[in-house]
Amino acid sequence: MQQSNVRRSYKGWGVLVIVTVLVYLLDRPMGALPALGRLLDPVNGCMANAEPVNKSFSADLKLPVKSGATVWIDERLVPHIHAANDHDLYFLEGYIHAQFRLWQMDMETRAAGGRVSEVVGEKALAYDRKQRQKGMVYAAENSLQAMEADPLTRAMMDAYTEGINQYIANMKFRDYPLEYKLMGFAPEKWTNLRTALLMKYMADDLTGKTDDIAMTYLRDVLPKNDFDLLYPRRIEGATPVIPQGTAFDKPSLSIPTAPPDSVAFPHFNAADFGEKREDGKGSNNWAISGSRTASGAAILCDDPHLGLNLPSLWFEAQLQTPDMNVCGVSLPGAPGIIIGFNDSLTWGLTNNYRDVKDFYLIKPVEGNKNKYWFAGKQLDFNKRVERIRVKGKPDIIDTIDYTIHGPVTYEVQNAKDGGLKKPLAMCWMAHRASNEMQAIYKLNRARNYNQFVDAIMNFQCPAQNFAYADRTGNIALWGQGQFVNQWKDQGRFVMNGSDSSTLWRELIPMRENPHVLNPVQGYVASANQVTTDSTYPYNYTNSGWVNLRAWRINNLLAGMQKASIADMQAMQNDTYSELAAGALPIMLNFVKINTSIDPQAKYFIESLEKWDYKLSADSVNATFFQIWWSCLDHDFWHNYIKNKVPGNLVPLQERTMQELQALNLGILLSHSIPGVHESTILHMRNVVGKSFRAAIDSINKLKKTGTEWYKVKNTSITHLAKLPAFSYDHLKIGGWGNTINAAKGDHGPSWRMIVQMGKEIEAYGVYPGGQSGNPGSKYYADYLQHWVDGKYYRLDFLPNTDKQDDKAIKYTLTIHN
Amino acid sequence: MRFLLLVILIAVLSAVAEMFLPWWSIAIVAFVISAFAKQNSGRAFLAGFCGIALFWLTAILLRDIPNQHILSARMATLFKLPNHALFIVVTIFIGGLVGGLSAWAGSLIRPRLEVR
Repeated sequence: MQQSNVRRSYKGWGVLVIVTVLVYLLDRPMGALPALGRLLDPVNGCMANAEPVNKSFSADLKLPVKSGATVWIDERLVPHIHAANDHDLYFLEGYIHAQFRLWQMDMETRAAGGRVSEVVGEKALAYDRKQRQKGMVYAAENSLQAMEADPLTRAMMDAYTEGINQYIANMKFRDYPLEYKLMGFAPEKWTNLRTALLMKYMADDLTGKTDDIAMTYLRDVLPKNDFDLLYPRRIEGATPVIPQGTAFDKPSLSIPTAPPDSVAFPHFNAADFGEKREDGKGSNNWAISGSRTASGAAILCDDPHLGLNLPSLWFEAQLQTPDMNVCGVSLPGAPGIIIGFNDSLTWGLTNNYRDVKDFYLIKPVEGNKNKYWFAGKQLDFNKRVERIRVKGKPDIIDTIDYTIHGPVTYEVQNAKDGGLKKPLAMCWMAHRASNEMQAIYKLNRARNYNQFVDAIMNFQCPAQNFAYADRTGNIALWGQGQFVNQWKDQGRFVMNGSDSSTLWRELIPMRENPHVLNPVQGYVASANQVTTDSTYPYNYTNSGWVNLRAWRINNLLAGMQKASIADMQAMQNDTYSELAAGALPIMLNFVKINTSIDPQAKYFIESLEKWDYKLSADSVNATFFQIWWSCLDHDFWHNYIKNKVPGNLVPLQERTMQELQALNLGILLSHSIPGVHESTILHMRNVVGKSFRAAIDSINKLKKTGTEWYKVKNTSITHLAKLPAFSYDHLKIGGWGNTINAAKGDHGPSWRMIVQMGKEIEAYGVYPGGQSGNPGSKYYADYLQHWVDGKYYRLDFLPNTDKQDDKAIKYTLTIHN
Repeated sequence: MRFLLLVILIAVLSAVAEMFLPWWSIAIVAFVISAFAKQNSGRAFLAGFCGIALFWLTAILLRDIPNQHILSARMATLFKLPNHALFIVVTIFIGGLVGGLSAWAGSLIRPRLEVR
C-alpha cells in the first residue's frame, strides 16, 4: 500500500510539474501570441473589456479639481465638459481622453518618438531608428521648451497631463485597454513631452513628404524644357487657395536673389527614389458667405483627409468655461479643440503643402568622422545620442550627427535598397520650437476675426489653410504657417550644404502669409492646391500641388446661389471625377479610331459613353476608367521615363490629362511629347489602345471578386495594431483621392464637418469610427456606417449654463474636489 | 453529491481567490482542495476541470450577455475561430484543463501527505 502511495505521489509530482509548466507558459507571451492565461482569464483578462451595451457612464467622482465640474455625455458618447476654470477643464479633458483612448494616445506618441520597439520588439527597430534620425524627439523637445516657457500653455498642458495621470493611477490590470493585454505592456505616466510629440507626429504626417531628392536627379537628366513642362511650379489653369487677383501687401522683407546654380545645387548620378508620390492625399475646406446661402448665414465646411484608423484620430468634445464655449474634434493626446466652432466663429483646416523640409548635401572632412565643411571651415558635428529600448534585447544606441542645417538623415534616405550613398542633412521647420498649443488655446476663445488672426499667428508647423466663418457673416482663408524668405527655387532641390548662400534665411512675418477676407466671389476654398497666383511677393515651392478637387469645388461653389446644408452634405460626398470628365472623351476618341473593335470592347465603350463620371461605390464604369487611366498614365510616360524617372515620380495626373487634351486639339507643343520622335499621335493611339486592352483584361480577371468600384479600391479602416479582427474593409463608399469625397484605400475624409453660423448655430459632423477606443464597446465604430452612407449627426452645442435640459444628454458625471 | 459539492467548492473558492490574486490562483485552489478531499484521481481531475470551467463560464456569461457578444465575437475573429460561442468554449476548456490537472496532481500527492 505504502509503495503504491509512493508511486502515486511520484506520479503526482510529475503532474504537478506539468501543470506548473502549463501555467508558466500561459502566463507569458509566446512569439506573436499574448500571454493566453492572462488574456483569457474572464475576471481580469479580455472579458473585462466587454462593456455592457447599456452601461451607464454617469458617476460621482472625487478628483483633484479646483472647484466642482460637470460632464454631460450625450447619446453618441460625446462629452460636454463644463468647468469653472481652465485647470479643471483641461484636467477633465485629459481624464476623459485617457478613459476612452489611452492605448491609442500611448501608441501614437510612441510611434512619433521612435519607441515602438520597446513594446513590440525588434521588428519595429528600423522604424524607430528612422524616427529618431528624423529628429522627432529633438523637435518635440524644442517645442516643449517653447510651450513650457509660456505660462498659459504650460498651465494648460500641466492640467491636461495631470488629468491623464489621475486616470492611469486608478487603473488595475483589468481596467487596461484590451490592446495592452494583447501586446503585453502597461500604460505609463503621461508627460507634456508626449503632447509635444503628438504635435510633431501631425507635423511629420503633413509636411514630412518631399520630392527634393528625386527632383534634383530629374533636373539633371531631363532637358530643361521637358523638366519645366512636366513639373511646372504651377499647373496651368490652377485655382489657387487665395483667389486669383487678390491683392497682396508689399513684403516687409526684401526677396533674396538666388546664388548661382553651380553653387546652390549638387548633382546626383544614380539613386533610388523609393518615396512614393501620394497623389490626392489632402483635404477640402470651404466657406460660403451669407450672400450665397439659403439661410443668409455663412457656412463653413471642412473634411481633413488623413490616414483612416481605429481608434479614430479624432475625438468629439465640447469644452465650456466662463469665458469659452467651444465644440468640435480634439486629438486625444493634446488639450483643446483642433477643428470646430465656438459661439462666435468656426474654423476648418486643410494641409497647406508649402515646402518646409529641405535637404543639404554634407561634405564630410576626409579622415575625420567628427567634422564637416561649411563656408570654407571645418565644423564639428553636434552628436546626439538616441537610446532605443528593444523588448527582449539589449538597448540600441544611435548617435545622430547634427549639422548647422539639421540632423544627417543618412538612414532615412538609405532605408530602401540602393539609396542615395551620400550624407544629407535635413532642415525642417518642425525641428524648430513652436507653440501650436497657444494657437489652439486662443482660437478656442476667439470672438471675432481679429482675435482669430491673432490666435493663428502661433500656428507654425504643420502649415495649414485655415478657413474661417463667423456669425456676423465674414468668411476668410489663411495659408498659415511659418515660412522662410526664400530665393527662387530654394529648397526645391537638394542644396549644397557647404556654402552659406543656401542657408535658410529670416522668417517671413506670419501676418504677411497669403490670406483673404470676404472676397468678391463670395466663397473661399482650399483643397491642397497651390496657395496663390504668381503675384504673391515671396517665393515658395512644392512639386505636388494637386488641383482636380479644387477645380470641382470651385465649379460647384461658383454655380451655387442659395446654398443649403443639404447642398454642402452632397458636396462633401461628391464623387465626380474631373479627371474622367477631362480625359475620358479623348481616350474614347482615340480608341474609336482604332480599327479592331470586338464586341466586348464595343460593350465597354458604349457603357463608358453613358457614364456620369462619378466614382460611385457600385459603378463598374468607375472601375474600368480608373484601371484604364492608371495603365495609360503609366504607359504614357513609360518610354520617356524608363531608366530616367525614379519609380513613382511621374508627373501629376493633372499634367497627363492636360497633355492628352493638348494632343486632342491637334496642338503639337513646340517640343513634341518627350521622348517620342516619330508620330506623337500614333504613339498616343498605341498607348491608349494598349491600356484599353489591359483594362478589359483586368476587368475580366476581377469578375470573380466583383468589379464594383468599392470592391476593387477597398476602402478600409484599420486598427492601429493592424489587427483584422478590430478593422473594417471593403466599405461601400465611392470616390478616390482626386474627388471631393476622397475615400482611398486607407486615407480619406477623417472628419466631415459643416457649420452654419446663423443666430442659432447649426453644426453637423461625422467621422469613420466611434468615441470609444475599446473594441469591446458598442461605441467603437458606431459612426462608421453613417460616414460610409454620407450621413451626418447634428452636433449638440449646449448653452454655457450649469443646468441642461437637452434630450440628447444621457449621462452626467459630477466631479467634486 | 460529494462530487458536485467539490465542483462548487472549487468554483466558488477560485472565484474568491481571483478577486485578489492573478489568474493562476485557480490552479492553487484546485490543487489544495483536491489534496484534502478523498477521491480517486480520475474524479479529482473531473472535479477540478468542471469547477474551474463552471466558474469561468459563469464569469464570461455575466459579461458576454450584457455586452451582446461584441467582444467575444471580435476575440473569436482574432483567434480565427468561427463564432463567439467557440471562443467561449476554448476559453473555458483552457481554464478547465489548468483546474483539472492541478486537482489531479493534488489528489495524487495527498496520500503522501497522509503517510507523513
